[in-house]
Amino acid sequence: MTASTAPARPESEAAATSPWVERLRRVGRALALPAGSVVLAFLIGAVLIALAGGDPLASYEALACGGFGISCFGGETPALQISNTIEFITPLLMAGLAVGVAFRAGLFNIGVQGQLILGAIFATIVGLRLASLPGVILIPLLMLAGVVGGALWAGIVGVLKAFTGAHEVVTTIMLNYVAYNLLNYLLINGPMQAPNSSQISLPVGQNAQLPTLIPQEGLFFGQPGGAYHASIGIFIALAAAGVYAFLMRRTALGYEIRAVGQSQRAARYAGISVRRTIIVTMLISGAFAGLTGGLMIAGGSLHYLYADLKFDTTGFDAIAVSLLGQNVAIGVVLSAILFGALHAGGLVMQSDVQISSHIVEILQAVILFSLAANFLRSLKLRLPSLGREPAKPDGMEAAQAALQAEVGSTAAAEGDGRA
Amino acid sequence: MAILSQLLQVLVSGDFWQLALRDGALLALPALGGVLSERSGVTNIAMEGMMLTGAFFSVVAALSFHNPWMAVIVAMLAGGAMALIHAFISIRFRADQIISGFAINIAAVGLTTFLNAKLSNFRGLQQVDPSGRLPTINVPLLDNIPFLGQVFFQQNIIVYVSLALLAIANLVLFRTRLGLRLRAVGEHPEAADTAGINVYRLRYGAVIMSGLLSGLAGAFLAIGIANIFNDNMTSGRGYIALAAMIFGKWTPWGAFVACMIFGVGDALAASTGVINVPQYFLQMVPYVLALVVLAGLVGRSTPPAADGIPYTPGGE
Repeated sequence: MTASTAPARPESEAAATSPWVERLRRVGRALALPAGSVVLAFLIGAVLIALAGGDPLASYEALACGGFGISCFGGETPALQISNTIEFITPLLMAGLAVGVAFRAGLFNIGVQGQLILGAIFATIVGLRLASLPGVILIPLLMLAGVVGGALWAGIVGVLKAFTGAHEVVTTIMLNYVAYNLLNYLLINGPMQAPNSSQISLPVGQNAQLPTLIPQEGLFFGQPGGAYHASIGIFIALAAAGVYAFLMRRTALGYEIRAVGQSQRAARYAGISVRRTIIVTMLISGAFAGLTGGLMIAGGSLHYLYADLKFDTTGFDAIAVSLLGQNVAIGVVLSAILFGALHAGGLVMQSDVQISSHIVEILQAVILFSLAANFLRSLKLRLPSLGREPAKPDGMEAAQAALQAEVGSTAAAEGDGRA
Repeated sequence: MAILSQLLQVLVSGDFWQLALRDGALLALPALGGVLSERSGVTNIAMEGMMLTGAFFSVVAALSFHNPWMAVIVAMLAGGAMALIHAFISIRFRADQIISGFAINIAAVGLTTFLNAKLSNFRGLQQVDPSGRLPTINVPLLDNIPFLGQVFFQQNIIVYVSLALLAIANLVLFRTRLGLRLRAVGEHPEAADTAGINVYRLRYGAVIMSGLLSGLAGAFLAIGIANIFNDNMTSGRGYIALAAMIFGKWTPWGAFVACMIFGVGDALAASTGVINVPQYFLQMVPYVLALVVLAGLVGRSTPPAADGIPYTPGGE
């Protein structure tokens, strides 16, 4: 991947004055790892599909059809597929930002699912209780309720982390299960269950629903408007990504969050209150998560709360979204589009070629593995020293030898780059 | 007051403690796996995924061989294989171990649901018939002791295995040279390396052990308790085991005590008919308890010093 920048190396002195070339190179470097990870995942996915007796090419065609509305040979309506994809992208993007802001502070928020459930519960309560208010007032209130619900739930984690050192991975997971049970309590023969129905609440009224992108009456691209569920929630999520970018790059708080993420000790020496930053970061992360829940109620295709929301995996998929997007706003947007397309496409793939849509989770896992292990860089580092196993240190001598090999191969790799 | 007397009525019943010990012993297996892995310096949040993989393959094997022991072996190997991936990526590629572990958990969900759909044509695998189930063993004579007999001597065979493994692991970890080395590698790998200990080999071994134990737990759940595979059937037990490991301060018996707290929580949740509290509040109890205990553990629960830090010979 970095090879693409290699031929430009001799011009680099001249190019140093041109910010555009430098910028392009930076973008190339930033994209190399995620792009490589995605390609690797698709290759492994193809092997798995073939092993399961499927046709990888036909499967990926169906995936692309369901995801992006291209290569549709089964009579699907491309516009409808794109609308479905947008419906998947919206919560993934929002939740990806929630995970991302925590990652920037060095916190791993596995609790986005619980936080978005709390957000959805709060949003539904406001939507139902204040149903008589006009939309311009009710919808912002509903979103605010979602934000408060999510921030409260994540705030517990932040406070516990800051004052007792309780690891956020464990506390967020515990709070997820508390949230699932709260949802069960409210909806399974509980106070929020709609009369004469099971495990769902009443839907929020028309005033609390976001407008859809395509009017619900009339025919569009040969399909009734009512078939298109994508709402303007996608613009809210995109605006949130803008807020995220501004927060991280242009504000003192963003600087503090990044500083704490890089090194808590250094941040402390710089006069930053690590405790305060951890709590504030979790509040922001929870706010994004809670807004995801609000968007699900006001802007999803269902406008009610349902107990099976505990089986929804948005909050976990968001971790892959954020990591693939390298925790920067534009990256999170791009990877939310990719994963949204994969999820929507997986459904078409399952119905068209009978390959389980769960292959998407396997692709997701492979992407995470290769991002975490940084296979590409490792390969480059290790290729010249194959055969010399750095994993066999026998005392200091071997350690020294391994170190030499490491340094040597790095130099060799750099030499390759120059050649 | 009514609730107190209902609670008392539950707490003196043999059924309650039998169930609590069964669930505690189930959780103790992945928790023990976590203890071994993290004592060697590899953070492991992947017990959930390794357990799920074990559960799935135990059912597949039990359905084809009609033999629970074959199924247990297959399940342990499947869990071990997932652990090997985690070990390889964490140790060889020095990856972020939390992300790698999390990816294992996603991969396990994807793999098991994908294969489940494939093997059963989207209908779900069928129930395991009695010939493929792990048996309950009633210890002769002892099982007739009132109360204690039911709790301790009328249990699934894996409950006894789990307790024995805890005792063995505790002995190995704190009373043998191997255990000392394992702990050294997790606390100060440079020093251990200088002393001639093979850091990588011990870490690989410990992580794979965690996979074998979690796979065994998956088999216990699938062919000892549920007798069927459902997608995502571990439903967070691996994560609970992770919490138990931390409460137990990375010791086998400490983790077991924490697992028993969760086991009691499970048993409480199962006695909704008797205790007049909404069922779902009872089911929250173990998780809320975990949070309270965690919050109370200020500065007293310290992981092994090199936990989660990839080892680079010679330092960097």
